[in-house]
Amino acid sequence: MPSAAHVDDIDDKDLIQISNKPHALLPFLQLQSATSLSRLYQSPSSCLSIFRLLDALERQLVMNLLWLESAIAQTTLGVWVFQEKKKLYDDALDMLSKLHILHIHSAKLSLNGTFKTSLRHAITGGGTTGSFGVPAEKDEKRPPMDVEGLDAYALERWETILHFMVSSGTGQNPTRPSQGVLYLLQRSGLMSNQHGSLPQITSAGFQFLLHPPHAQLWDLLLQYLHMAEERQMDLVEVLTFFFMLSTMELGREYLTENLSQTQKAMLDDLRDYGLIWQRRPTSRRFSPTRLATTLNSSSPSLPTGASTGAGAASGSQQQQGFIVLETNYRVYAYTDNPLQTAVLNLFVSLKYRFPNLVVGSITRDSVRRALNNGISADQIISYLITHAHPQMRKFNPLLPVTVQDQIRLWELEKDRLKSQEGYLYTSFASQGDYELVRDYAKQLDVVVWENDAKRCFFGTLEGHANIKSFVERRGVGGDY
Amino acid sequence: MAGSHLSVVIDLSPSQWHLSSLHQPYPLDISAFISQLLAFLNAHIAFKHENTLAVFGAFPGKSTLLYSSADPPAETPSNDANYFPPLKLVDSTMMHRIVQNLETLTQNNGDDKAPSALVGALTKALCYINRLTLEFNAATTNATEGLEPLALPDSRILILSVSPDQTASYIPVMNSIFSAQKLKVTIDACQIYGPDTVFLQQAAHLTGGSYIYLERRDALLQYLTMAFLPPPSVRQTISVPTQDKIDFRAACFCHKNIIDVGFVCSVCLSIFCQPVPVCSTCRQVLLTKFPFKTLQRLNAARSSLPSSPSQPRNSSAPSSPQKTNGRTPSRTEAPLGPGGLPHSGSISLNNSTTNGAISSR
Repeated sequence: MPSAAHVDDIDDKDLIQISNKPHALLPFLQLQSATSLSRLYQSPSSCLSIFRLLDALERQLVMNLLWLESAIAQTTLGVWVFQEKKKLYDDALDMLSKLHILHIHSAKLSLNGTFKTSLRHAITGGGTTGSFGVPAEKDEKRPPMDVEGLDAYALERWETILHFMVSSGTGQNPTRPSQGVLYLLQRSGLMSNQHGSLPQITSAGFQFLLHPPHAQLWDLLLQYLHMAEERQMDLVEVLTFFFMLSTMELGREYLTENLSQTQKAMLDDLRDYGLIWQRRPTSRRFSPTRLATTLNSSSPSLPTGASTGAGAASGSQQQQGFIVLETNYRVYAYTDNPLQTAVLNLFVSLKYRFPNLVVGSITRDSVRRALNNGISADQIISYLITHAHPQMRKFNPLLPVTVQDQIRLWELEKDRLKSQEGYLYTSFASQGDYELVRDYAKQLDVVVWENDAKRCFFGTLEGHANIKSFVERRGVGGDY
Repeated sequence: MAGSHLSVVIDLSPSQWHLSSLHQPYPLDISAFISQLLAFLNAHIAFKHENTLAVFGAFPGKSTLLYSSADPPAETPSNDANYFPPLKLVDSTMMHRIVQNLETLTQNNGDDKAPSALVGALTKALCYINRLTLEFNAATTNATEGLEPLALPDSRILILSVSPDQTASYIPVMNSIFSAQKLKVTIDACQIYGPDTVFLQQAAHLTGGSYIYLERRDALLQYLTMAFLPPPSVRQTISVPTQDKIDFRAACFCHKNIIDVGFVCSVCLSIFCQPVPVCSTCRQVLLTKFPFKTLQRLNAARSSLPSSPSQPRNSSAPSSPQKTNGRTPSRTEAPLGPGGLPHSGSISLNNSTTNGAISSR
């Protein structure tokens, strides 16, 4: 069960932030052309999944319009909205129209015809698109993999990828994921290959590790979509297949026969990521895992979500949260999962290890190491909050304030010096010259620092061309 | 974030649905109703991956659970590539169970005239939500830590009724409302056919829900979608219709009539349509004393006013409260001494015309 309703202020604030942020896929969809989107909307399962990725308000607006045959005036729908929440409503309309779900035409609102038909089909059944996947008949000789088996498989695959990332560069040699996964990790900038033959994790990769599993999955899939564009794959088919997977039923086998060539090619990749399971690579059947079937749950994957892919993907230990943080910067992590230990090792200096417990402390050095890797203080804090042990949840605020503040201070410490490129203007002949040029530069708002006594000032890079020509013009003019 | 839970209570009284299908100008028969209802339920399931649903049917004389997403039936529906599996499951289970129940009803015929067990279904819905709340708290280990149990976020009950008020069920309805308040459950109500119901109006008002008297029965689905689909969190942005006028009248405990003016026991707050010397609920002979002098004054003042025309069911409101009715549950005609205690009195329950106006904005 999710821990959404905790009494903690910070927790609540984080949740609000999450709920206000549109799903990672939606900006990508907005960039697609209207024609590809309307091809995508021909499939009821895609419509249903996109519908679920929308914000709650947007979903309600879509439902309000779904059963109407004709367009209605914008004001008719507007009167249902509280005046002080008008902005949310306008934002929602804006988002929907950017996705080409909603047509706003001369102050009248109507749903995209294709989207409307498909979503109606999704809700009432019917149609002949077969977009929810063709289930395979039961095979008595070879029963499908059971749910536990699928979960274990998905977990193993996913943790292999994460563990490979986190332990790169530490000298250990974890199991290497397949070539396709490695390529994806490098393409997405989560790992880089420049320091030799072994790929190294980048700062983006470190940030990625602290994301909740659901966001991680979508991050990778988004990268996959970008890669698909380069590989000349049909983006609509790729998306349709993702959405089809997300509406499939866990523990059931589906046939590959109705899939297009592109989608069949995708099976190999998705098997590597742990989204689907196949008995043999050539098998004509496949089963989606929990990673795939929870793709369209828009909720952030909280660690306690026993029924979501998140819980499964990040280990059984994590279902209840496992980290205890004390005011003396000590961290007790009740886990024996090597991945979780490795992630903690990013910003905690670990001291002891026991069969089910890891003890360490947050120190200035350990946090600075994390900051240098590109991890921000907020990410550390939010990781600690999401994975806090149930015992910790009794406290308000959840994390000791001293530790939170100190982590933030350590981050600020890093920002004491700020560098900026520019030019230093010195050795003016007279105070008048100096003031004239300085005032001109001030008008352009390019002065970073000035010292009247020494008759010099520092201008930004952008202002240099202007100042230079000004000085030359004045010099030629011979006013002085 | 948890999904929202919706428990739907549907009134499946065959006789009322028969009347509804004949009603002009907007007839609605039960099959059209169920198909629109299923579209609404599917929309709720489709709304969010984590949304849960329970449907309770109120048949004449009995109530049953028709569908629950917590314990889905064992048999899975046949393979269909064109239908989202969870939605198909809802549809097939609901249809199967409704038909099954209506068939048993026709076999034990004669019971058709019994009023539908709407209150029973409502109580079951509340128990169900209570169970979910307990499970939710067990999962967050709050219960074991001795902390205040958390309310289930975003849970609500929707009552779709076609029957008139059963005045006999006033006390159970009020008790259900109080439990709903305690569980922080919103009760929405929709009267699809028949007269406005007093009790459902009060249930919706007291729990912060929405009550709609369906006038255009052909637009049922649109009403359901716009007014009852938004979960409580969305209702902070999109308003749902609330009542302008609420009928706050109560039913008396003695004859189960809905009354305009009632007499309240000063000890246990039981409501009577006539002053009684002994409260039938708490039997407090000495304390329950109605101030008869005030009453006479009140009555004199009332008689000068025309009787309110808007209360058609108010047939047995006492015209002269002094007269003791033979059916009163009092056993002794205790003489009421002078100096009736000041803490007992009569209250006017007819608030609907004075301060019951509540607008949506």
